[in-house]
Amino acid sequence: MDVKNPIANPLIVLREEFDDWAILFDPDTGNAFGLNPTGVFIWKLLDGKHDADAIVSRLREEADDVPEDAAEHARQFIAALEAQGLVGYEIEQERRTGNGDRG
Amino acid sequence: MKLMRTPKKIDIDITNRCNLRCRYCYHYESAGDAGGDLPAEEWLQFFGELNRCAVTEVTLAGGEPFIREDLEAIVGGIVKNRMRFAILSNGTLITDEMAAFLASTKRCNYVQISIDGSMPESHDAMRGRGSFARAVEGLLTLRRNGVRAAVRVTIHRKNVHDLEGITRFLLEDIGLGSFGTNSAGAMGLCRKNAEIVQLTTEDRVLAMETLLRLSKKYNGRIQAMAGPLAEARHWLEMEEARLEGRPQMPNGGSLTGCGCYKSSLSVRADGAITPCTMLSHIELGRINRDDLGGLWREHTTLNALRRRDEIPLSGFSFCEGCPYVNYCTGNCPGLSYTLTGEVNHPSPDACLRKFLAEGGRLPDRALLC
Repeated sequence: MDVKNPIANPLIVLREEFDDWAILFDPDTGNAFGLNPTGVFIWKLLDGKHDADAIVSRLREEADDVPEDAAEHARQFIAALEAQGLVGYEIEQERRTGNGDRG
Repeated sequence: MKLMRTPKKIDIDITNRCNLRCRYCYHYESAGDAGGDLPAEEWLQFFGELNRCAVTEVTLAGGEPFIREDLEAIVGGIVKNRMRFAILSNGTLITDEMAAFLASTKRCNYVQISIDGSMPESHDAMRGRGSFARAVEGLLTLRRNGVRAAVRVTIHRKNVHDLEGITRFLLEDIGLGSFGTNSAGAMGLCRKNAEIVQLTTEDRVLAMETLLRLSKKYNGRIQAMAGPLAEARHWLEMEEARLEGRPQMPNGGSLTGCGCYKSSLSVRADGAITPCTMLSHIELGRINRDDLGGLWREHTTLNALRRRDEIPLSGFSFCEGCPYVNYCTGNCPGLSYTLTGEVNHPSPDACLRKFLAEGGRLPDRALLC
C-alpha cells in the first residue's frame, strides 16, 4: 500500500474565532480542540497535496523565525490530530496479483 | 470589542404551531408569534449557510417542534451540515420512532421537556388536562431510546408549593441526574395571565428558600440560569458584596446581562433573523436572503446591542441611590423591553432593591451549596 499525504477529516468543522485562533469541532462527539494560528495554517494545508515538509516550507514563506525543527513539530502535531480522528490518509490499494488474497 | 467571525449557535423557532396553549408561554402573543411555518426546503438551504459559517449547534424550539411532520428531514439537514442540535419540547408528541431516529443521528445534545409538577394537578393547571401524563411519557420514551433528556421546571403560582414533590419525582422516581428551573416571565401569554401565573413576592421568597434547600440536599442537582434559584444565588452574592463594601462585582455596574448575541442568533418561524428569542421584535434580516456572516459582523443594531454593556446603570433614574448598583447586571434585555418598552434599560423584574422594597427577603446564606 502507498500511504499518501495527510487529509483533514471533512466532517470536522474549523471555527475561526478570535485573533486567528480557532477550534476544531467534531460534530459526532461534540469534542472541540483549540488551535493556535500556526495550527490553523497547518490544518488548512491538510488537503492531501502536502506532507509535513511541504507545509513547513509554505510556513517559512509566510512567517519569520520558523524554528529549524518545525517539520518535526508539524509531524507530531499531525500525528496528534490523527490520533483524535481529525486527520486521515488516502490509501491507494496495491494492485494484487496471484493468490495472495486467498492465503 | 472582540467578536467571533460567525455565530456559534442558532436558536430556531422551527414552527409557530403548538398542540398546547400553556398559560405562561413566552412565545404566543409575543413578537416571536409570527405567521406560518416555512417549508423544510427553506430550512435545509439555510443549514447549508450555517455549515459554511461553521456554526456548530442549532436549537429547535417553537411552538412545538415535534408537531412538524417533516422534522426528520429537518434534523437530517442539520446532521448533513456538520452540526449538533437540541430540541425544546412540551414532550407530549414524542413517539418511539422519533426518539429512535434522534438517537440514531448521534448528534442530539439533548431534548428538553417541560415538566412543572409531581402530579397532574400542578402541571396541568397551566398546560392543559392530560399534558402531565403525556409529557412524562415523552420523557420516558426519550430515555428508553437512549436520547439525553433534560427537564425544565417552570415555577408559577400553582406549583410553587409542589417544589419538594417535583424534585423527589424527577430525581428519585424518574432518576434524572439533574433538572433546570426557571419561573414564568412577563412575556407572551404570561403577561396576559400574570395574575394567575406569576409568582408574588411571597411566592418568590418561598421558591428561593425551597430551591436552595433542595439544591443543597441533592448536591447541586438543581440548576438555574434564571428564575428564583438563580436570583437567590446572585442576590445573596450581591448582598454579601454590599455588606463587605466591595467596590464592584464581575460584570456589575452596567447592562451586561446577558449578552447572548455575542455568540448566537435566533430565527423566527417566518425566517426573520433576530438577536435572541427574547428580542424577537428586532428583525435583523431574513434567512436565505441576507448574508448571515455579514449581518453578524456588520449589522448596526446588533453591534449597538453588543455595546449595551458599556451603558452604566448609574445613569438610570431607576437605579438612582441603589446600594447594589455596582453588583447588578441589569439582567435580560428582552424582559426589560417587555416591561419598560426599552431594550437599553435594567429589567425591573430582576431588581433586588425593588424585591426587598416590596417585602421580599433573602434566604439564609447557609442554604447555599
